[in-house]
Amino acid sequence: MSNPITRDSLAPASNPCHRIFRIVLDRLTIGLSISGVALMFGILLLIFAVLLNGAWMAIAHIGWHFFTTSTWNPVPGMDRYGVLSFAYGTAVTTFIALLLAVPLSIGCAVFITRIAPQWLAGPVSFLVELLAAIPSVVYGLWGAFVMSPWLQTHIEMWMWKALRNVELIPLGYYPGHRREYFPANLVHGGPSGSDYLAGGLILTIMILPIITAITRDVLQQFPEELEQGAYGLGATWWQTTRLALTYCRVGIFGAAVLGMARAIGETMAVVMVIGNTDRVSSSLFAGGQTMAGVFVNEFLEAAHPIYLSAMMYVALTLLISALLTNIAARILLNRITPA
Amino acid sequence: MPADTIPTPQSFHQYEWWPRLVSWLAKILCTAAAALALAMLFLILGYMLWKGISGLHWSFFTHLPLQEPMGMRNCIVGTLILAGIAGLIGVPIGMLCGIYLAEYAPKGWTTQGIRLTLDVLAGTPTILFGVVVYQIMVVRPQNYNGWVGHLSLGSHRVQSWMGITNGYSGWAGGLALALIMVPIIARATEEMLRMVPLAHREASAGLGASKAETLWRVVIPAAKAGIITGIMLAIARVAGETAPLFFTAFGNDAMVYNPNRQMPSLTEQIYNYSQSDDPHWRAQAWTASLVLVSMVLVFSAGVRIATRKRRIRGW
Repeated sequence: MSNPITRDSLAPASNPCHRIFRIVLDRLTIGLSISGVALMFGILLLIFAVLLNGAWMAIAHIGWHFFTTSTWNPVPGMDRYGVLSFAYGTAVTTFIALLLAVPLSIGCAVFITRIAPQWLAGPVSFLVELLAAIPSVVYGLWGAFVMSPWLQTHIEMWMWKALRNVELIPLGYYPGHRREYFPANLVHGGPSGSDYLAGGLILTIMILPIITAITRDVLQQFPEELEQGAYGLGATWWQTTRLALTYCRVGIFGAAVLGMARAIGETMAVVMVIGNTDRVSSSLFAGGQTMAGVFVNEFLEAAHPIYLSAMMYVALTLLISALLTNIAARILLNRITPA
Repeated sequence: MPADTIPTPQSFHQYEWWPRLVSWLAKILCTAAAALALAMLFLILGYMLWKGISGLHWSFFTHLPLQEPMGMRNCIVGTLILAGIAGLIGVPIGMLCGIYLAEYAPKGWTTQGIRLTLDVLAGTPTILFGVVVYQIMVVRPQNYNGWVGHLSLGSHRVQSWMGITNGYSGWAGGLALALIMVPIIARATEEMLRMVPLAHREASAGLGASKAETLWRVVIPAAKAGIITGIMLAIARVAGETAPLFFTAFGNDAMVYNPNRQMPSLTEQIYNYSQSDDPHWRAQAWTASLVLVSMVLVFSAGVRIATRKRRIRGW
């Protein structure tokens, strides 16, 4: 907002005490607010400095191999550190979450903006946003004690029956070892309940409100003339809605990317349902870890320097991936709502 | 063609059955999506209520975890203290950032840069704040000597001066939560200050007030309700944080009022109890969730309902 008030436009204060007070107040306000901004910049610098400082040893010793190694073995003497298994866990859970949450959120947003009557739209919107207010540890508790057992005995059992003989990559049925060695099978290992699928599902519920809220806001910007025009040309409700979704595609994409950023950084709920093993498996039913979750499990046990340094390297990787996703989302969303 | 046979818009697409069927199906699916989202909310809250309400006695609020019957008085107090410390540190920084952004920042790259930094801070995974605060405030620096070691808040000199016996402290937990609060409060303050109409500022200037006087006496009082809403929502948000507290406040089974010692919190105790096999402890975890969610929801829902007109976007 351009503020037309400058010090030049002022009527001079008649009282000299008032004049001094006014000058002091002006300078104090601007000085304090600039120092607040400086502190905020300092916090960001501090985060990068501390993580880089901590990860420096690992960067020097491991280098780029960190991103191509899936082994995470902190035993002294035979230790190897690679982020790949954690990055894979983050990627798989995030992918599952987006796959389910984006259509669901679009459905919710369309319901709120285009189907529900006025008296219903407000409460539904409010209740969906309430999902975002539940602490993540409560999601984790519910996920671990309610969702996981149910998932194991119902959904995963059905999936296992349907998919256990379906190979993702047809390797040919060599007897015995090859299928055991590289199970290119989504359900290899059988239903466990604490696995990538559970992590993805709990993330789905957690990122649903944010994607819904933004999609709803974006859909409300769909111009009335276009809607009336579409109806006038004989379009059905769904054809008009499809037009609205196409019109708002950048915003919806931005909402999805923002949801992805949330999913990457989410810690507690995922760590409580994902099973926490250090292996990489192509199976959805295998336990794993995420980049954020590994800190809950191992950070305080990182006893020797290179172990701690490798943890900080994971932190740096997590920070940079979350930041890039976030910035991409902001760029997309700023394109549609110039502030 | 006689005029009365011209199709009206209603009958115009009635002979196309396929688009109408698709439209009907799409409506059903969208409604089902909304119903599913609400069902998840009620499933989670309902199950928590069902499991948690049985453990909800007065002893829960008056006893400690190691007493019989078990209680979580220290965790409730700890959560409040941690949120209070976070507010004390985070609110001034966040508000000053918001004030600068709304009132003083030149348009262009300055505003864009500050906004980007705030977005970056808001998007940082919260566990990393815990890691960073652990590094600068909890762990004693062993690798670097001399003045760098003395600068670190984790150094022995600083900690003994502050009276922190163990590295973990309420101050560290509060600081981690404060860093999470800063971008939320800054954006809320900025948005609220920008909503104050220009006419107010012009009238104030017309009466001879300077810019800072206008800010403190006209603009901020006008935006007060919205700013307080933002602060409340931010406090409710950090009260539910778990991950950054593991490495900073660490938890405690005793009753602690002194932030120099390691502090318990509801969220962390929920996690600890959920990892055990003891059914009593798990029941305590559900009760603690119920109390925590009630606190957070009553707080944020109440604030939202009270100020529905000028809502602050969570993102």
